[in-house]
Amino acid sequence: MKSSLLLATLLAVYRLALPGYHYEFPRDHFNHPEFQTEWWYYTGNLVSPQGHHFGFELTFFRQGVSQEPQPKPWGVNDVYLAHLALSDLDGGRFYHTERLNRSGPGFAGADLASGRIWNGNWQSTWRLASLTNGVFTNQQLQAVTDAFSLDLHVVSHKPPVIHGVNGVSQKARGPGRASHYISFTRLETNGTIILNGTRFEVTGTSWMDHEFFTHQLEPDQTGWDWFSIQLDDGSDLMLYRIRRRDGSADPYSSGTYVEPNGNAHHLTRNDFTLTPASTTGSRYPLAWAIEVPSLHLTLRATTLLPTQEFTGETPASPAYWEGAIRLAGTQTGVGYLEMTGYKKAVSF
Amino acid sequence: MPAALLFSRLMLRPLRREPARTALTLLAIALGVAVVLAIDLAGDAAAGSFRSSVETLAGDADFEVSAPGGLPSSAAASLATLPYALNLHPRIEDSAEIVQTGHVVPLIGVDMVADASANESGAPQDLGNLSTSPQVWIGRDFPHPASGTLDLRINDRIVTLAIRGRLKGSTGEAAVIDLALADRLLHRDGALDRILIRIPKGESNLDAWEHRLRAALPPGVTLERGGARTRENRKMLQAFRWNLRVLSYIALLVGAFLIYNTISVSVVRRRAEVGILRALGAGRPAIAAAFLAESAAFGLAGSLLGILLGRLLALGAVKLVASTVESLYVSSTPAPIALTLPAALAALVLGTAVSVLSGLAPAIEASTVPPTEAMARGRVDYQSRVHKTRDLVLAALLSLAALIASRIPPVEGKPLFGYLAALLLVAAGSLAIPFLVASLADLTGVPLRRLLGVEAMLAGRGLAASLRRTSVLTAALAVAVAMMAAVGIMVGSFRETVSLWMENQLKADLYLRPAGPESADRHPVMAASVPDRIEQLPEVLAVNRFRAYAISYGGLPATLASTDTALEHRFGRVKFLGAANREAIFHQLPLGNFAVVSEPFANKHHVEAGSTLTLSLGGHSVPLRILGVYYDYASERGYILLDRHVLLRYLPDPAPSNVAVYLKPGVPLDEGRAAVERAIASHSVLVIANRSLRDEAMRIFDRTFAITYALEAVAILVAVMGMAGALLALIIDRRRELGLLRFLGSSAAQIRRLILFEAGLLGLLANAIGLALGVLLSLILIYVINKQSFGWTIQFHWPVAVLLGSLTTVFLAAVLSGLYPARVAMRLNPIEVVHEE
Repeated sequence: MKSSLLLATLLAVYRLALPGYHYEFPRDHFNHPEFQTEWWYYTGNLVSPQGHHFGFELTFFRQGVSQEPQPKPWGVNDVYLAHLALSDLDGGRFYHTERLNRSGPGFAGADLASGRIWNGNWQSTWRLASLTNGVFTNQQLQAVTDAFSLDLHVVSHKPPVIHGVNGVSQKARGPGRASHYISFTRLETNGTIILNGTRFEVTGTSWMDHEFFTHQLEPDQTGWDWFSIQLDDGSDLMLYRIRRRDGSADPYSSGTYVEPNGNAHHLTRNDFTLTPASTTGSRYPLAWAIEVPSLHLTLRATTLLPTQEFTGETPASPAYWEGAIRLAGTQTGVGYLEMTGYKKAVSF
Repeated sequence: MPAALLFSRLMLRPLRREPARTALTLLAIALGVAVVLAIDLAGDAAAGSFRSSVETLAGDADFEVSAPGGLPSSAAASLATLPYALNLHPRIEDSAEIVQTGHVVPLIGVDMVADASANESGAPQDLGNLSTSPQVWIGRDFPHPASGTLDLRINDRIVTLAIRGRLKGSTGEAAVIDLALADRLLHRDGALDRILIRIPKGESNLDAWEHRLRAALPPGVTLERGGARTRENRKMLQAFRWNLRVLSYIALLVGAFLIYNTISVSVVRRRAEVGILRALGAGRPAIAAAFLAESAAFGLAGSLLGILLGRLLALGAVKLVASTVESLYVSSTPAPIALTLPAALAALVLGTAVSVLSGLAPAIEASTVPPTEAMARGRVDYQSRVHKTRDLVLAALLSLAALIASRIPPVEGKPLFGYLAALLLVAAGSLAIPFLVASLADLTGVPLRRLLGVEAMLAGRGLAASLRRTSVLTAALAVAVAMMAAVGIMVGSFRETVSLWMENQLKADLYLRPAGPESADRHPVMAASVPDRIEQLPEVLAVNRFRAYAISYGGLPATLASTDTALEHRFGRVKFLGAANREAIFHQLPLGNFAVVSEPFANKHHVEAGSTLTLSLGGHSVPLRILGVYYDYASERGYILLDRHVLLRYLPDPAPSNVAVYLKPGVPLDEGRAAVERAIASHSVLVIANRSLRDEAMRIFDRTFAITYALEAVAILVAVMGMAGALLALIIDRRRELGLLRFLGSSAAQIRRLILFEAGLLGLLANAIGLALGVLLSLILIYVINKQSFGWTIQFHWPVAVLLGSLTTVFLAAVLSGLYPARVAMRLNPIEVVHEE
């Protein structure tokens, strides 16, 4: 979704996300090459014992470019893009970098056999020993860049959530205009961040999204605003609003409420409102009002760091805002906000 | 300023009076300096250029990983997943020929997906078909516009590629394609040639990083510091450049003799003035300084002229040097010639220093002139004080020293003592020359008159009389002749050796190689189906497949090759060094990890039959026992030769670099050739008949040594010019004598003949002495310097035609150089000259 490099080709031969998909874990945590687009998205809010706050984003994208058999090892069926960002919330700086690879002889991939989702030396390793009832609960996130490195251990006490209805998260009208969307909504996190040579022991809460599909946004859909929220009462909330060209919210916007015990409830467009309440002159609305009347939730989302815009390394790469937020209101919590399509409409 | 005045009156005025001689001396120095500078510049340009093509593409790497015959691609994945912020560039490296121009460029496969930001036009198009999509990016210096299409000959195929743009920040002339395309076009089967690694910024402990990287790599791959290949090539070229440089000093050495001669003549001619000055109170140091200043002035002016001339000569030299480098060592496109200030200053200092040193002895001699002796008119002719006996003893001692020096092993691969031996021998020869000249003059006086008349006798006597001066002259020419003869004999012997070797080696009827220019470090291959198809032909008896890989061994480039041992045994006439059992070697070679190595390889790496060398092949560390060392003159890089099937076990690529075809007895060559050509028509492969291959090889050989001949020619030119100048001086010196002869009734024609005889005698003497000295020098060249620098055994042969030709040329040149002095002598007015008495 993030790069114009990822040309949509041979759309028709890829499998569509259709209702009734039979999920099977742990297999479905890994690669689905029969779908054209797939991503594994880790975000989180972390803090050091000294009270230094960080946000991070580590995302692995896969985009299918050919379904023909390709010569080994250099032929390309999928390109793997990865984004890595560190928000130094107290230091007031946003670090981000991207990389693109082919799977090659093992440069990037996501496979069950090795329990790894990786792009070069950015990886998430799923501990096979942590497999309980077919669900991985332990993962190790590791990533190295010139400026910083992450080494985080994440543990989930809730089962994975499958968003939407009947196994699909519908994004527009019509069969297949949808994704298979799985989340670990509350990952207890502890580990190490080394930033410019300084080591921080950190703890906090992370979120993981895994989505696979074969579908573009509709012509009148220009982007989305997406929230992942972990409230202090132990419940979690995922909400997204697909924006239409006229600025209105698309009827296919939706969300999921996850109880502290892990039970998940689908939220439709009519169950919540997301209202930009920005007071700054930024391109992106950096404050939001969130209401979920059925849950008696009235929240205000704000950020400590307005500059969490991820810009690609080439001018052609699209820019998006992805950053750590705080929630206050009827409850308090932390979360991540993603806003896309503000510079130009999103295309995969 | 009395010193300046003294210099002006004593030195400049006489020089002005003899513009021709002054100009000749200057030109001689200028040529000497020019040749040294030209060779240096040309060497830099020709040898320094491979860096630009291969090394700069990814900037400077801290480390590089490679393995002979290819690196498993999994090594790149292992490195990519290490938890360090490394910068990695996996590469497939080869070369290709631009079909339209015949220009050979590096062809490099890189990861265009990961490096998408490294080129101006962004990521490759058609990501889903990278292995078939013919797209190419070009380096900044690529000799083709950055648009349109490009036809490249890659191995035995011509491929048309669409040019996508230039690579950012690359200075080379490489053609760059994606790994997937490179893998397919070059049949790499997933293997890489190199991985360049840059460690995180600010890190400096390379040893620690080497350790870390090593731990992540499979055994049997080579991890080196960045730029290793450039260093290897430089190291390999060192011996070649050294020898070339030394060769270029011959002209300067000859020039030094001439300076010595010129200053000696000056001293002799100005004895009267020196005497007067001494009588007027000038000190000895002042006199010596004046003459030294003269030689310094000659040196300075000559060197300045030489620098200009050298820059010009470099234009021609760079082509010759580059072609030698290309056929013996490594593909290279000459870089532009860069005359730097340090290089120019070095040439200036060198020329001036050589001049001053050459003028030292005569200057000291001038300072010893006693005022009384020089003042005595009528005794102008200076009696040479040659200590024949002392010089002969000294010459014998120097020869002995030369003999000893020739036995000392090389220093860091350089035959330093070999050069010393050659220099000592030249010095010994120069010292012996006065004695030889005198003896010859005494011996030949009577027969000369009988044979050629009174002018010849007088000429002989004239020479003997001014022994010292002519001896230097003779020495200069003799040294030039000796060098020429020595190099001529060496190259001639080498040529003959190679020719005989080829006759033994090349027994097949037809040879095949991929079309395109050849070079010692490129081994393009042809499809494995080519020999397979030929093998099926009814005209064909047998087909041998030869495969070569450019590898690095022990920090030096080398060639790893394989051949069909059975066919080699059946048809070939490979000769092994020493008392090796050919049968046993051929029997054992296909049985396992055995190899034979070429003589240059054995000499470079100090291995012999029975030694074991270890190579990394296909990710394995393979120990190979050397069964024998064979004579080979194909490449100076050195060969490690394995049986084809043994090598295929480790590097399973069946594509051959060369194919030898043996026709059935009775099949006419033309018929067999036509059948072969029909069978492989779709491949860009050259079919070469045995005879043509040998001719081609000899042509390459001659091209390789063209630079040597050119240097020789300049040395001879300098010597002949010096001779003309010196003869002129002799004439002017002997004006009284010549005038007296005229006064006594000799005709102008007789005087002319006398001078020409003198010149001819000088030429003959120099030829005779030079040849004798040259033969001795050639022994040092062949058995010491060549052996130590290149490791080849050269059988001694007399290149009779070459020697006769060049000696005749020298003789004729010597006689011709007497023409102008003869004219001057003829124009002497006898009355006026005798009046001077």
